[in-house]
Amino acid sequence: MGDFLEGLPSYNENNFTRFHADSSHRSNKPTVYISTKDYPSEQVITTEKSNILLRYLHQQWDKKHVSQTTCKKRDSQRANLSEFNEGSSSSKVARVNSTDSN
Amino acid sequence: MAYNYVVTAHKPTSVTNGVTGNLTSPTDLNLIIAKNSRVEIYVVTPEGLRPIKEIMIYGRIAVLELFRPPGETKDLMFLLTHRYNAMILECQVDGENIEIITRAHGNVQDRIGRVSETGILGIIDPECRVIGLRLYDGLFKVIPLDKENRELKAFSIRMEELTVIDMAFLYGCQTPTVALIHHDQSGRHVKTYEISLREKDFQKGPWKQDNVETMASMLIPIPAPFGGTVIIGQESITYHNGDHYIAIAPAQIKLSPINCFGKVDANGSRYLLGNLAGDLFMLILEKEEKMDGTVVVKDLKVETLGVTTIPEIILYLDNGVVFLGSHLGDSQLVKLNSKRDANGSYVQVMETFVNLGPIVDMVVVDLERQGQGQLVTCSGAFKEGSLRIIRNGIGINEHASIDLPGIKGIWPLCVNSDKFDNMMVMSFVGQSRVLQLSGEEVEETELPGFDGDNQTFVCNNVCFNQIVQITQASMRLITCKPGGLAEEWVHPDGKKISLACCNHTQVVIAAGSQLFYFEIEQGKFALKGQTTVEHEVACLDISPLQDGGQSSDLLAVGLWTDISARIFRLPNFESLHVEMLGGEIIPRSILLTTFEGIHYLLCALGDGSLFYFLLDQATGYLSEKKKVTLGTQPTMLKTFKSLSTTNVFACSDRPTVIYSSNHKLVFSNVNLKEVNHMCPLNSDGYPDSLALANDTTLMIGTIDEIQKLHIRTIPLRETPRRIAYQEATQTFGVITYRFDSGERNLPGFEPLPPPASLTALTSTATSKLLTGGGAASSAGDATSDEQEVYSFLILRQSTFEVLHAHTLLPNECATSLLSTTLGEDPTPYYIVGTALISPDEAEPKLGRIIVFHYNEGKLTMVAEKEIKGAAYSMVSFNSKLLASVNSTVRLFEWTAEKELRLECSHFNNILALFLKSKGDFVLVADLMKSIALLGYKPLQDAFEEIARDCNVKWMTAIEILDDDNFLGADNFHNLFVCQKDSAATTDEERSQMQEVGLYHLGEMVNVFRHGSLVMHHAGENTTPVLGSVLFGTVNGSIGMVAQLPQDFFNFLLEVQNRLSKVIKSVGKIEHSFWRSFFTEQKRDTSLGFIDGDLLESFLDLTRDKMQEVVLGLQIDDGDMKRDATVEDLVKTIEELTRIH
Repeated sequence: MGDFLEGLPSYNENNFTRFHADSSHRSNKPTVYISTKDYPSEQVITTEKSNILLRYLHQQWDKKHVSQTTCKKRDSQRANLSEFNEGSSSSKVARVNSTDSN
Repeated sequence: MAYNYVVTAHKPTSVTNGVTGNLTSPTDLNLIIAKNSRVEIYVVTPEGLRPIKEIMIYGRIAVLELFRPPGETKDLMFLLTHRYNAMILECQVDGENIEIITRAHGNVQDRIGRVSETGILGIIDPECRVIGLRLYDGLFKVIPLDKENRELKAFSIRMEELTVIDMAFLYGCQTPTVALIHHDQSGRHVKTYEISLREKDFQKGPWKQDNVETMASMLIPIPAPFGGTVIIGQESITYHNGDHYIAIAPAQIKLSPINCFGKVDANGSRYLLGNLAGDLFMLILEKEEKMDGTVVVKDLKVETLGVTTIPEIILYLDNGVVFLGSHLGDSQLVKLNSKRDANGSYVQVMETFVNLGPIVDMVVVDLERQGQGQLVTCSGAFKEGSLRIIRNGIGINEHASIDLPGIKGIWPLCVNSDKFDNMMVMSFVGQSRVLQLSGEEVEETELPGFDGDNQTFVCNNVCFNQIVQITQASMRLITCKPGGLAEEWVHPDGKKISLACCNHTQVVIAAGSQLFYFEIEQGKFALKGQTTVEHEVACLDISPLQDGGQSSDLLAVGLWTDISARIFRLPNFESLHVEMLGGEIIPRSILLTTFEGIHYLLCALGDGSLFYFLLDQATGYLSEKKKVTLGTQPTMLKTFKSLSTTNVFACSDRPTVIYSSNHKLVFSNVNLKEVNHMCPLNSDGYPDSLALANDTTLMIGTIDEIQKLHIRTIPLRETPRRIAYQEATQTFGVITYRFDSGERNLPGFEPLPPPASLTALTSTATSKLLTGGGAASSAGDATSDEQEVYSFLILRQSTFEVLHAHTLLPNECATSLLSTTLGEDPTPYYIVGTALISPDEAEPKLGRIIVFHYNEGKLTMVAEKEIKGAAYSMVSFNSKLLASVNSTVRLFEWTAEKELRLECSHFNNILALFLKSKGDFVLVADLMKSIALLGYKPLQDAFEEIARDCNVKWMTAIEILDDDNFLGADNFHNLFVCQKDSAATTDEERSQMQEVGLYHLGEMVNVFRHGSLVMHHAGENTTPVLGSVLFGTVNGSIGMVAQLPQDFFNFLLEVQNRLSKVIKSVGKIEHSFWRSFFTEQKRDTSLGFIDGDLLESFLDLTRDKMQEVVLGLQIDDGDMKRDATVEDLVKTIEELTRIH
């Protein structure tokens, strides 16, 4: 009976050892945090505004372009996204950024 | 324009999200829970959960996750709001001070995209490489967690799967890999994808599984060494990791769908599962070690642990203690024991956290007729369904209680103890007792020189280490060292002492109309004066007015016969002031006291009312007479100190604490039923306490510092839907429903107590439709299995005992409830509106309006009327019954034959969901066409539409503010006020309501009611606030909307704008963005509402920040404008806090 409840994880073995059901002595409500200091954010989260179809078409265009100039034998495989190499991706990133600003 | 003030009176309580981790320091174990727009941070300690901070977020929280990127020593918090504000927060703790640093923030909303019906899903890769979000159907948004970049550029990936039920990142993958359950025509499937950050696209994942269980709803990612996922369905649980597959179908999980899980072991070998019936299960992944040293899952096991609240989130904390966050009931802290208790349960509840949500309906009642409302809400659902009684007041926390009937007075004594009170005197009819207090122990003791054979009137420690005891027989002076009687004084003519009062150095004794004044000296009483007054003395007091004063030269006396309060100067009883109180009720208790440096005379009468005056200490002159009703019984006034400020306790059937705030007296209810006597007590075992006595019990407790809402729970163990109060019968009517699902008792466990509708003293049922009225047929009609059964319950007002239950028809759903009288008929009726539900109809085509009368334990069905649809709402209208039935609004007349007869109808709605009436006007809320105002034309027996709001709004509640202003709440958590423009020049303009108030509340309002939770006293000019509408929300918060005068509104708006700049928002969401009116179609700047929550946070600012807010602010000081000071604003805002 209840073997499956043996050996429950313990982070600090003292936790909850002095727990009293009568909680009237302590307040259960945390105080409200109010900040008046302005800390600049280290990072800004932005979201890509361009259409994902446009992004796909641009990717395709880049791939075609790149493969035509650097590696003609890949023409037949250009629709396959998994076959990308390092060099083409860096030029692709640049293009996508330029469409972002549109 | 509209000028409204909206403020939270009770913060949301339903737990929407939660996580555990190390947020406040690398070693602290934190519990973090979100309650709609608020995040609460706790730390786990040996004493239990210690609250750290509550953080207000300017948005409703959709996703709350902790993660620890490589290189960080503690966790970071990721939050996403329902309006797509994402933020990464860090918690910096410096001693007691805590700062929340917004490390990253931004909005990830897309301009297009269909919002997912299955809600926002947000997950974080275990290796902290990316955050994955499903906000819109068919799109998976990725926020790469790149430490180097100043900008975190989120992008979307097209996802073939339109309906994603759940998703999770898999553990131990080279590239971030997401697993998801999705739904299509052929059923549900599990798929995995790898995310290619470079390609910004999905790559084929390591495995997939088509056609999992059709109700598969949850994915649990399993950490190393197992890996893979567990798929939770309604009937089965499956483990899958690509090449390994184990499925089980344990019987106990079929009882109710599993809705949440919590990880127990870090290695994922045990999980807790919860369902809507409150069953807590443990899922165990049994392991097998292969020859090559790898570990795989061998089998799955499910064990039932016991019944808890209905959890929404399960968070394992430490040492077998688990937090269960609930949306449908109270949240709980439970302990898992490896041995069963007497009921067969492995689960032991340690602590309960009250949750009012979801508030479905509520009434404001003033049961004590004190001018102070209390709320009774329909809260919770299923087995956690309950009524909650909410009233404002001061709480007494009970520490000890002793059954002691007949106490007539109590006083603390300090006998040869340097610091603490160590004895307590109790007086009874014809006798007195002394109790010794040692630690928390209390026992009877002897005090040398003490008279135990008489009822004590007064007993006090006095100067020279002596004690005065006054009984009807004599006045005794007792020395503490050596113990014994020093002097005894009896009336020279042998008369009985009728009343007495004393302070540290003086005693005044009354015998009939004679008064004797003594000063206390070492070992003796010195008679310094005596007099005879016109009438017999009813009450008297010589409390010193100076703080810490030892004596008083003023004596306050209340007299019989002429009902007067008088002030005398001692020692020669010079009469300074006579105040006729008027009326015929004699004064019972009189008190001289000083609050905040102002002297007062308080005088309580035998009917529970209280007069109070300003007292001029030099002249004894009383001025500014005011009266307030505290209770209905004779009231006793006693002073006590709490945090070194003076308070007065008024003992009566409605105990009240009187204190002063901003030089105004505040009367605050105490959460006790009745107190006859009280005294302050400061003993070793009970420091800074109060001793309180009622007819049967002596209780020792401590008092809350501030007044707050007190909540009492009446469990119903089924879902309450509607409530109405009927004063004439002193009952509440409640509509509930329960599920009759046959036997759901778990083997080895005690059965649960039955729902309220099955515990009624008497019961009836409707057995078939339209029996033609008359008495309701008797109970006994068995309902089939798995049935929703609606009941109409009658509860006694005083005890909330279920007096009667009436079961409605199978498939009949009660939709509305009203208590009213009809026509000329004075009988109070409960009217129930219903709908008959048929699975193949989109809208109900049939329903009933049933008129019940409850009288002396018997419920009679007086009339019933068949209607062509659901009676969504009913109101009393000019002594007639107005009901909204599907798309129509119908007026019914009550005939002399006690039948409902249709008088007229109005048709111009899609579904008329809510009705409110005022005079000849009716406000109708439509499902999606906002609100319309109808006028009744009695001569034509018809309604005409006066004006309508032509905007699309999906309504959840409405209220009429006044003849021209109408308040509404919609499905997108907004409030709005529409105004009828009667003065417009054209018919077209008149027929359109103007939106004059727009505000994003961030809470879904289910019900509005006129009323107030605080007592309003006539003659006290506080802030100029008009009207008060309370609202209850899905998340269990209670708020208030009040109207302000235009110039005051503009002043507060200016303060609000300044505050929104001084107070920095967590996650850098603008306050104006948060409060802007927001629907899927449009966003409008907030208008006509003051955010009371923001405004009141002014009081928590530091002094220099207050100064910053005030700088340059102009206040209208009666006749001219001047620069406002911090004090001005503190005073104004403190007064605003007192309206709720």
